[in-house]
Amino acid sequence: MRGFFLYLFFGFFFVLLQSSVFPVLLPPGLRPNLLLIVILYLGLSENFPRAVLVTLLLGGIQDSFSGTSLGLYVSVDLAILLLVRLLSEHLNAESPALLLLLIAAGTLVQNLLVGFCLTVFADAGPVMPILLPALPQQLIANLLAASFLLYFLLRLQPLFGTRSGLAGLVYQSKRHGS
Amino acid sequence: MRDLFRRYRYLFLTIALLLSTLLLYSYNLRQRGATTFFERSVLTLTAPFQASFDGAFDSVTGFWDNYLWLIETRQRNQQLEAQNRQLKAQLQQVAEVRLQNQRLRELLAFVDDVDRPALPAQVIGEDASNWAQTIVIDKGTRAGLRDGLPVVAAEGVVGRIIKTAPNSSRVLLITDASSAVAALVQRTRTRGVARGRGRELTLDYALRTADIKIDDLLVTSGMGGVFPKGLILGRIAEVKRDEFGLFQLVDVLPAADFSHLEEVMVLLGEDR
Repeated sequence: MRGFFLYLFFGFFFVLLQSSVFPVLLPPGLRPNLLLIVILYLGLSENFPRAVLVTLLLGGIQDSFSGTSLGLYVSVDLAILLLVRLLSEHLNAESPALLLLLIAAGTLVQNLLVGFCLTVFADAGPVMPILLPALPQQLIANLLAASFLLYFLLRLQPLFGTRSGLAGLVYQSKRHGS
Repeated sequence: MRDLFRRYRYLFLTIALLLSTLLLYSYNLRQRGATTFFERSVLTLTAPFQASFDGAFDSVTGFWDNYLWLIETRQRNQQLEAQNRQLKAQLQQVAEVRLQNQRLRELLAFVDDVDRPALPAQVIGEDASNWAQTIVIDKGTRAGLRDGLPVVAAEGVVGRIIKTAPNSSRVLLITDASSAVAALVQRTRTRGVARGRGRELTLDYALRTADIKIDDLLVTSGMGGVFPKGLILGRIAEVKRDEFGLFQLVDVLPAADFSHLEEVMVLLGEDR
Protein backbone atom coordinates (compact mmCIF):
# COMPACT_ATOMS: atom_id res chain seq x y z
CA MET A 1 0.00 0.00 0.00
CA ARG A 2 2.88 2.33 0.84
CA GLY A 3 4.36 1.66 -2.58
CA PHE A 4 1.06 2.53 -4.24
CA PHE A 5 0.94 5.95 -2.58
CA LEU A 6 4.63 6.46 -3.28
CA TYR A 7 3.97 6.00 -7.01
CA LEU A 8 1.04 8.43 -6.85
CA PHE A 9 3.18 10.95 -4.97
CA PHE A 10 5.89 10.70 -7.63
CA GLY A 11 3.22 10.93 -10.34
CA PHE A 12 1.90 14.19 -8.90
CA PHE A 13 5.38 15.52 -8.28
CA PHE A 14 6.54 14.70 -11.80
CA VAL A 15 3.46 16.17 -13.46
CA LEU A 16 3.93 19.36 -11.43
CA LEU A 17 7.55 19.47 -12.57
CA GLN A 18 6.42 18.98 -16.17
CA SER A 19 3.75 21.67 -16.06
CA SER A 20 5.30 24.30 -13.77
CA VAL A 21 9.08 23.92 -13.59
CA PHE A 22 10.26 22.56 -16.96
CA PRO A 23 8.45 25.29 -18.96
CA VAL A 24 10.49 27.89 -17.04
CA LEU A 25 13.84 26.12 -17.43
CA LEU A 26 13.71 24.16 -20.70
CA PRO A 27 12.78 24.93 -24.31
CA PRO A 28 9.47 23.39 -25.49
CA GLY A 29 10.92 20.38 -27.32
CA LEU A 30 13.33 19.37 -24.58
CA ARG A 31 10.95 18.75 -21.70
CA PRO A 32 11.14 15.11 -20.59
CA ASN A 33 8.05 13.02 -19.99
CA LEU A 34 8.82 11.71 -16.52
CA LEU A 35 5.49 9.90 -16.18
CA LEU A 36 6.42 7.66 -19.10
CA ILE A 37 9.53 6.60 -17.22
CA VAL A 38 7.37 5.74 -14.20
CA ILE A 39 4.99 3.70 -16.39
CA LEU A 40 7.86 1.73 -17.92
CA TYR A 41 9.35 1.19 -14.51
CA LEU A 42 5.97 -0.07 -13.24
CA GLY A 43 5.79 -2.52 -16.13
CA LEU A 44 9.15 -3.97 -15.21
CA SER A 45 8.93 -4.00 -11.45
CA GLU A 46 5.44 -4.17 -10.04
CA ASN A 47 2.82 -6.88 -9.80
CA PHE A 48 0.17 -6.70 -12.51
CA PRO A 49 -2.92 -5.43 -10.61
CA ARG A 50 -1.01 -2.67 -8.83
CA ALA A 51 0.80 -1.67 -12.04
CA VAL A 52 -2.52 -1.43 -13.92
CA LEU A 53 -4.23 0.58 -11.17
CA VAL A 54 -1.34 3.02 -10.79
CA THR A 55 -1.04 3.37 -14.57
CA LEU A 56 -4.76 4.20 -14.93
CA LEU A 57 -4.47 6.85 -12.22
CA LEU A 58 -1.24 8.30 -13.61
CA GLY A 59 -2.80 8.40 -17.09
CA GLY A 60 -5.77 10.27 -15.63
CA ILE A 61 -3.47 12.73 -13.88
CA GLN A 62 -1.55 13.30 -17.11
CA ASP A 63 -4.85 13.81 -18.96
CA SER A 64 -5.83 16.40 -16.39
CA PHE A 65 -2.69 18.36 -17.22
CA SER A 66 -2.57 17.99 -20.99
CA GLY A 67 -4.76 17.91 -24.05
CA THR A 68 -8.50 18.38 -23.99
CA SER A 69 -10.18 15.12 -22.93
CA LEU A 70 -9.79 12.62 -20.11
CA GLY A 71 -8.95 9.14 -21.37
CA LEU A 72 -6.23 9.67 -23.97
CA TYR A 73 -3.23 9.05 -21.73
CA VAL A 74 -5.23 6.52 -19.68
CA SER A 75 -5.52 4.37 -22.84
CA VAL A 76 -2.04 5.07 -24.20
CA ASP A 77 -0.24 4.48 -20.90
CA LEU A 78 -2.20 1.28 -20.29
CA ALA A 79 -1.28 0.01 -23.76
CA ILE A 80 2.40 0.81 -23.09
CA LEU A 81 2.28 -0.95 -19.73
CA LEU A 82 0.77 -4.06 -21.35
CA LEU A 83 3.42 -4.04 -24.08
CA VAL A 84 6.20 -3.77 -21.49
CA ARG A 85 4.55 -6.55 -19.55
CA LEU A 86 4.51 -8.80 -22.59
CA LEU A 87 8.17 -8.08 -23.26
CA SER A 88 9.45 -8.03 -19.70
CA GLU A 89 9.55 -11.83 -19.41
CA HIS A 90 12.20 -11.88 -22.13
CA LEU A 91 14.25 -8.94 -20.91
CA ASN A 92 17.04 -8.57 -18.45
CA ALA A 93 15.51 -5.72 -16.52
CA GLU A 94 18.61 -5.29 -14.38
CA SER A 95 20.52 -3.80 -17.28
CA PRO A 96 20.50 0.03 -17.21
CA ALA A 97 21.28 0.12 -20.95
CA LEU A 98 18.22 -1.98 -21.68
CA LEU A 99 16.09 0.29 -19.54
CA LEU A 100 17.28 3.25 -21.59
CA LEU A 101 16.52 1.38 -24.79
CA LEU A 102 13.07 0.61 -23.45
CA ILE A 103 12.55 4.30 -22.69
CA ALA A 104 13.54 5.20 -26.25
CA ALA A 105 11.08 2.62 -27.61
CA GLY A 106 8.42 3.75 -25.12
CA THR A 107 8.77 7.37 -26.27
CA LEU A 108 8.35 6.28 -29.88
CA VAL A 109 5.34 4.07 -29.13
CA GLN A 110 3.69 6.70 -26.94
CA ASN A 111 3.94 9.36 -29.65
CA LEU A 112 2.59 6.97 -32.27
CA LEU A 113 -0.31 5.87 -30.05
CA VAL A 114 -1.17 9.47 -29.11
CA GLY A 115 -1.10 10.40 -32.81
CA PHE A 116 -3.23 7.38 -33.68
CA CYS A 117 -5.85 8.06 -30.98
CA LEU A 118 -6.06 11.77 -31.82
CA THR A 119 -6.38 11.04 -35.53
CA VAL A 120 -8.91 8.23 -35.20
CA PHE A 121 -11.05 9.34 -32.25
CA ALA A 122 -10.69 13.12 -31.99
CA ASP A 123 -11.12 15.81 -34.60
CA ALA A 124 -7.76 17.25 -33.65
CA GLY A 125 -6.57 18.30 -37.10
CA PRO A 126 -3.18 17.25 -38.46
CA VAL A 127 -1.45 16.04 -35.29
CA MET A 128 1.28 13.87 -36.79
CA PRO A 129 3.09 16.85 -38.39
CA ILE A 130 3.27 18.31 -34.87
CA LEU A 131 4.30 15.11 -33.10
CA LEU A 132 6.88 13.70 -35.49
CA PRO A 133 9.26 16.68 -35.80
CA ALA A 134 9.31 16.95 -31.99
CA LEU A 135 10.11 13.26 -31.56
CA PRO A 136 13.96 13.38 -31.75
CA GLN A 137 14.12 16.14 -29.13
CA GLN A 138 11.63 14.29 -26.95
CA LEU A 139 13.73 11.15 -27.28
CA ILE A 140 16.89 12.96 -26.19
CA ALA A 141 15.09 14.67 -23.29
CA ASN A 142 13.58 11.40 -22.02
CA LEU A 143 16.89 9.53 -22.31
CA LEU A 144 18.77 12.29 -20.49
CA ALA A 145 16.14 12.41 -17.76
CA ALA A 146 16.15 8.63 -17.40
CA SER A 147 19.97 8.56 -17.26
CA PHE A 148 19.92 11.25 -14.62
CA LEU A 149 17.29 9.40 -12.58
CA LEU A 150 19.23 6.12 -12.88
CA TYR A 151 22.46 7.80 -11.79
CA PHE A 152 20.62 9.46 -8.93
CA LEU A 153 18.98 6.18 -7.85
CA LEU A 154 22.29 4.32 -8.07
CA ARG A 155 23.77 6.85 -5.69
CA LEU A 156 20.80 6.50 -3.36
CA GLN A 157 20.55 2.73 -3.59
CA PRO A 158 22.70 2.06 -0.51
CA LEU A 159 20.29 4.18 1.52
CA PHE A 160 17.26 2.14 0.42
CA GLY A 161 18.97 -1.22 0.53
CA THR A 162 19.53 -3.51 -2.43
CA ARG A 163 16.11 -5.14 -2.32
CA SER A 164 14.02 -2.04 -2.72
CA GLY A 165 12.80 -2.92 -6.21
CA LEU A 166 14.53 -0.57 -8.61
CA ALA A 167 14.40 -1.64 -12.25
CA GLY A 168 17.63 -1.07 -14.13
CA LEU A 169 19.62 -1.73 -10.99
CA VAL A 170 21.22 -4.83 -9.63
CA TYR A 171 19.02 -6.92 -7.30
CA GLN A 172 16.16 -4.96 -8.56
CA SER A 173 12.69 -6.33 -7.97
CA LYS A 174 10.51 -8.75 -6.11
CA ARG A 175 9.04 -9.82 -9.44
CA HIS A 176 12.30 -10.55 -11.19
CA GLY A 177 14.03 -11.94 -8.14
CA SER A 178 17.58 -11.26 -7.10
CA MET B 1 -16.17 -22.37 -23.55
CA ARG B 2 -15.40 -22.05 -19.86
CA ASP B 3 -11.98 -23.65 -20.42
CA LEU B 4 -11.28 -21.26 -23.23
CA PHE B 5 -12.22 -18.31 -21.04
CA ARG B 6 -10.14 -19.66 -18.17
CA ARG B 7 -7.13 -20.25 -20.38
CA TYR B 8 -7.19 -16.79 -21.94
CA ARG B 9 -8.68 -14.85 -19.01
CA TYR B 10 -5.71 -12.46 -18.76
CA LEU B 11 -5.88 -11.72 -22.46
CA PHE B 12 -9.65 -11.13 -22.29
CA LEU B 13 -9.21 -8.96 -19.21
CA THR B 14 -6.49 -6.93 -20.91
CA ILE B 15 -8.56 -6.40 -24.03
CA ALA B 16 -11.60 -5.44 -21.93
CA LEU B 17 -9.50 -2.95 -19.96
CA LEU B 18 -8.08 -1.36 -23.10
CA LEU B 19 -11.51 -1.13 -24.70
CA SER B 20 -12.92 0.43 -21.53
CA THR B 21 -10.28 3.14 -21.50
CA LEU B 22 -10.86 3.85 -25.19
CA LEU B 23 -14.61 4.05 -24.53
CA LEU B 24 -13.93 6.44 -21.66
CA TYR B 25 -11.81 8.60 -23.99
CA SER B 26 -14.44 8.49 -26.71
CA TYR B 27 -17.18 9.41 -24.21
CA ASN B 28 -15.14 12.32 -22.88
CA LEU B 29 -14.49 13.57 -26.39
CA ARG B 30 -18.24 13.97 -26.81
CA GLN B 31 -18.48 15.75 -23.45
CA ARG B 32 -15.63 18.11 -24.33
CA GLY B 33 -17.27 21.10 -22.65
CA ALA B 34 -17.54 19.42 -19.27
CA THR B 35 -14.83 19.09 -16.66
CA THR B 36 -15.01 15.61 -15.12
CA PHE B 37 -14.99 15.03 -11.38
CA PHE B 38 -11.56 13.37 -11.66
CA GLU B 39 -10.07 16.31 -13.57
CA ARG B 40 -11.63 18.83 -11.18
CA SER B 41 -10.25 16.94 -8.19
CA VAL B 42 -6.74 16.74 -9.67
CA LEU B 43 -6.75 20.41 -10.65
CA THR B 44 -8.08 21.45 -7.23
CA LEU B 45 -5.54 19.32 -5.44
CA THR B 46 -2.57 20.52 -7.45
CA ALA B 47 -3.46 24.21 -7.95
CA PRO B 48 -1.90 25.39 -4.64
CA PHE B 49 1.28 23.41 -5.40
CA GLN B 50 1.44 24.83 -8.91
CA ALA B 51 1.03 28.34 -7.54
CA SER B 52 3.76 27.66 -4.95
CA PHE B 53 6.12 26.22 -7.59
CA ASP B 54 5.45 29.21 -9.80
CA GLY B 55 6.00 31.68 -6.94
CA ALA B 56 9.18 29.95 -5.78
CA PHE B 57 10.59 29.91 -9.32
CA ASP B 58 9.70 33.54 -9.85
CA SER B 59 11.62 34.42 -6.66
CA VAL B 60 14.66 32.34 -7.63
CA THR B 61 14.78 33.56 -11.23
CA GLY B 62 14.12 37.10 -10.04
CA PHE B 63 17.04 36.93 -7.61
CA TRP B 64 19.26 35.38 -10.28
CA ASP B 65 18.34 37.91 -12.96
CA ASN B 66 18.35 40.99 -10.73
CA TYR B 67 21.33 40.38 -8.48
CA LEU B 68 23.58 37.70 -9.96
CA TRP B 69 23.32 37.52 -13.74
CA LEU B 70 24.26 41.12 -14.57
CA ILE B 71 26.47 40.53 -17.60
CA GLU B 72 25.83 43.09 -20.34
CA THR B 73 23.48 45.01 -18.07
CA ARG B 74 25.10 48.36 -18.90
CA GLN B 75 24.82 47.82 -22.66
CA ARG B 76 21.27 46.58 -22.19
CA ASN B 77 20.48 49.69 -20.17
CA GLN B 78 21.79 51.94 -22.93
CA GLN B 79 19.75 50.01 -25.50
CA LEU B 80 16.63 50.33 -23.38
CA GLU B 81 17.15 54.06 -22.92
CA ALA B 82 17.37 54.48 -26.67
CA GLN B 83 14.32 52.28 -27.11
CA ASN B 84 12.51 54.31 -24.46
CA ARG B 85 13.12 57.53 -26.39
CA GLN B 86 11.76 55.91 -29.54
CA LEU B 87 8.71 54.57 -27.73
CA LYS B 88 7.95 57.96 -26.23
CA ALA B 89 7.88 59.41 -29.72
CA GLN B 90 5.67 56.54 -30.89
CA LEU B 91 3.37 57.03 -27.92
CA GLN B 92 2.71 60.59 -28.97
CA GLN B 93 1.82 59.31 -32.43
CA VAL B 94 -0.44 56.65 -30.90
CA ALA B 95 -2.29 59.27 -28.87
CA GLU B 96 -2.97 61.13 -32.11
CA VAL B 97 -4.14 57.92 -33.80
CA ARG B 98 -6.38 57.11 -30.83
CA LEU B 99 -8.14 60.45 -31.13
CA GLN B 100 -8.53 59.92 -34.84
CA ASN B 101 -9.86 56.39 -34.23
CA GLN B 102 -12.38 57.71 -31.73
CA ARG B 103 -13.66 60.22 -34.22
CA LEU B 104 -13.91 57.58 -36.96
CA ARG B 105 -15.72 55.12 -34.70
CA GLU B 106 -18.25 57.71 -33.77
CA LEU B 107 -18.61 58.60 -37.40
CA LEU B 108 -19.06 55.07 -38.68
CA ALA B 109 -20.64 53.59 -35.54
CA PHE B 110 -18.07 50.89 -36.11
CA VAL B 111 -17.94 48.78 -32.99
CA ASP B 112 -15.12 46.38 -33.66
CA ASP B 113 -13.45 46.34 -30.33
CA VAL B 114 -13.61 44.41 -27.10
CA ASP B 115 -16.11 45.91 -24.74
CA ARG B 116 -16.49 43.26 -22.06
CA PRO B 117 -15.58 43.06 -18.42
CA ALA B 118 -12.25 41.28 -18.03
CA LEU B 119 -10.59 39.41 -15.20
CA PRO B 120 -6.79 39.31 -14.91
CA ALA B 121 -5.24 35.92 -14.19
CA GLN B 122 -1.74 34.60 -13.75
CA VAL B 123 -0.32 31.68 -15.71
CA ILE B 124 0.75 29.03 -13.20
CA GLY B 125 1.42 26.05 -15.47
CA GLU B 126 1.79 24.74 -18.99
CA ASP B 127 0.78 21.55 -20.73
CA ALA B 128 2.49 18.43 -19.40
CA SER B 129 2.84 16.94 -22.89
CA ASN B 130 5.02 17.99 -25.80
CA TRP B 131 2.23 18.17 -28.39
CA ALA B 132 -0.81 19.81 -26.80
CA GLN B 133 -0.89 23.56 -26.27
CA THR B 134 -2.65 24.44 -23.03
CA ILE B 135 -1.87 26.58 -19.99
CA VAL B 136 -3.20 26.66 -16.43
CA ILE B 137 -4.33 29.97 -14.89
CA ASP B 138 -4.87 30.77 -11.22
CA LYS B 139 -8.57 31.69 -11.47
CA GLY B 140 -11.49 29.29 -11.56
CA THR B 141 -15.20 28.95 -10.90
CA ARG B 142 -14.89 30.88 -7.62
CA ALA B 143 -13.85 33.92 -9.64
CA GLY B 144 -16.79 33.43 -11.99
CA LEU B 145 -14.99 31.62 -14.80
CA ARG B 146 -16.62 28.90 -16.87
CA ASP B 147 -15.80 26.75 -19.87
CA GLY B 148 -15.68 28.55 -23.21
CA LEU B 149 -14.67 32.02 -22.01
CA PRO B 150 -12.08 33.75 -24.25
CA VAL B 151 -8.63 34.53 -22.89
CA VAL B 152 -6.48 37.34 -24.27
CA ALA B 153 -3.11 38.97 -23.65
CA ALA B 154 -1.95 42.49 -24.47
CA GLU B 155 -0.60 41.26 -27.83
CA GLY B 156 -3.69 39.36 -28.94
CA VAL B 157 -5.85 36.28 -28.50
CA VAL B 158 -4.49 33.53 -26.24
CA GLY B 159 -7.25 30.90 -26.32
CA ARG B 160 -10.38 29.76 -24.50
CA ILE B 161 -11.09 28.04 -21.20
CA ILE B 162 -11.75 24.30 -21.54
CA LYS B 163 -11.59 23.02 -17.96
CA THR B 164 -12.47 24.76 -14.72
CA ALA B 165 -11.83 23.97 -11.08
CA PRO B 166 -12.65 26.20 -8.08
CA ASN B 167 -9.25 27.96 -8.10
CA SER B 168 -7.72 27.18 -11.47
CA SER B 169 -8.66 26.72 -15.10
CA ARG B 170 -7.07 25.23 -18.17
CA VAL B 171 -6.91 27.28 -21.35
CA LEU B 172 -6.69 25.75 -24.83
CA LEU B 173 -4.27 27.95 -26.78
CA ILE B 174 -5.16 28.97 -30.33
CA THR B 175 -2.03 27.16 -31.50
CA ASP B 176 -3.32 23.74 -30.35
CA ALA B 177 -4.20 21.39 -33.19
CA SER B 178 -7.77 21.03 -31.91
CA SER B 179 -8.36 24.80 -31.82
CA ALA B 180 -10.18 26.55 -34.65
CA VAL B 181 -11.13 30.23 -34.57
CA ALA B 182 -13.27 32.07 -37.13
CA ALA B 183 -10.98 34.77 -38.51
CA LEU B 184 -10.70 37.48 -41.13
CA VAL B 185 -7.84 39.34 -42.74
CA GLN B 186 -8.14 42.88 -41.44
CA ARG B 187 -7.10 44.65 -44.65
CA THR B 188 -9.30 42.78 -47.14
CA ARG B 189 -11.94 41.26 -44.77
CA THR B 190 -11.21 37.82 -46.29
CA ARG B 191 -12.76 35.15 -44.10
CA GLY B 192 -11.22 31.86 -43.00
CA VAL B 193 -10.63 29.59 -40.04
CA ALA B 194 -7.43 30.01 -37.99
CA ARG B 195 -6.41 26.50 -36.99
CA GLY B 196 -3.60 25.67 -34.57
CA ARG B 197 -0.50 23.90 -35.82
CA GLY B 198 1.75 23.48 -32.80
CA ARG B 199 3.60 26.76 -32.53
CA GLU B 200 1.91 28.51 -35.45
CA LEU B 201 -1.48 28.87 -37.09
CA THR B 202 -2.82 28.23 -40.56
CA LEU B 203 -5.65 30.14 -42.17
CA ASP B 204 -7.90 27.46 -43.67
CA TYR B 205 -10.66 27.98 -46.24
CA ALA B 206 -9.29 31.27 -47.57
CA LEU B 207 -10.31 31.31 -51.23
CA ARG B 208 -7.49 31.10 -53.77
CA THR B 209 -8.59 34.32 -55.40
CA ALA B 210 -8.66 36.28 -52.12
CA ASP B 211 -6.12 39.06 -51.72
CA ILE B 212 -3.85 38.06 -48.82
CA LYS B 213 -0.33 39.41 -48.42
CA ILE B 214 2.53 38.69 -46.06
CA ASP B 215 2.35 40.84 -42.90
CA ASP B 216 -1.42 41.32 -43.15
CA LEU B 217 -3.09 41.33 -39.76
CA LEU B 218 -5.45 38.45 -38.93
CA VAL B 219 -8.26 39.22 -36.48
CA THR B 220 -11.20 37.29 -35.03
CA SER B 221 -14.39 37.58 -37.07
CA GLY B 222 -16.74 37.07 -34.12
CA MET B 223 -18.56 34.33 -36.05
CA GLY B 224 -17.71 31.40 -33.79
CA GLY B 225 -19.58 32.86 -30.82
CA VAL B 226 -16.58 32.53 -28.48
CA PHE B 227 -14.30 35.44 -29.34
CA PRO B 228 -15.56 38.99 -29.83
CA LYS B 229 -14.94 40.54 -33.23
CA GLY B 230 -11.68 42.32 -33.99
CA LEU B 231 -9.21 40.69 -31.59
CA ILE B 232 -5.73 40.24 -33.05
CA LEU B 233 -4.75 36.63 -33.80
CA GLY B 234 -1.49 37.15 -35.65
CA ARG B 235 0.24 38.22 -38.84
CA ILE B 236 0.39 36.41 -42.17
CA ALA B 237 3.83 34.82 -42.49
CA GLU B 238 3.56 32.88 -45.76
CA VAL B 239 1.08 32.58 -48.62
CA LYS B 240 1.14 29.72 -51.15
CA ARG B 241 -1.20 29.39 -54.08
CA ASP B 242 -1.21 26.12 -56.00
CA GLU B 243 -2.21 26.04 -59.62
CA PHE B 244 -5.29 24.06 -58.75
CA GLY B 245 -7.54 23.89 -55.73
CA LEU B 246 -10.13 26.15 -54.19
CA PHE B 247 -8.10 27.52 -51.31
CA GLN B 248 -4.67 29.02 -50.71
CA LEU B 249 -2.25 27.85 -48.03
CA VAL B 250 -1.69 30.60 -45.49
CA ASP B 251 0.68 30.39 -42.52
CA VAL B 252 0.15 32.79 -39.64
CA LEU B 253 2.50 33.79 -36.81
CA PRO B 254 0.47 34.25 -33.61
CA ALA B 255 0.60 37.74 -32.11
CA ALA B 256 0.94 36.54 -28.53
CA ASP B 257 4.26 35.07 -27.42
CA PHE B 258 3.06 31.87 -25.79
CA SER B 259 6.48 30.95 -24.46
CA HIS B 260 6.56 34.05 -22.25
CA LEU B 261 2.97 34.32 -21.10
CA GLU B 262 2.73 35.41 -17.49
CA GLU B 263 -0.50 37.35 -17.17
CA VAL B 264 -3.65 37.07 -19.24
CA MET B 265 -7.16 38.55 -19.22
CA VAL B 266 -10.28 36.42 -19.26
CA LEU B 267 -13.16 38.15 -21.04
CA LEU B 268 -16.35 37.68 -19.07
CA GLY B 269 -19.95 37.82 -20.17
CA GLU B 270 -21.42 39.44 -23.25
CA ASP B 271 -20.47 42.66 -24.97
CA ARG B 272 -21.67 45.69 -23.01
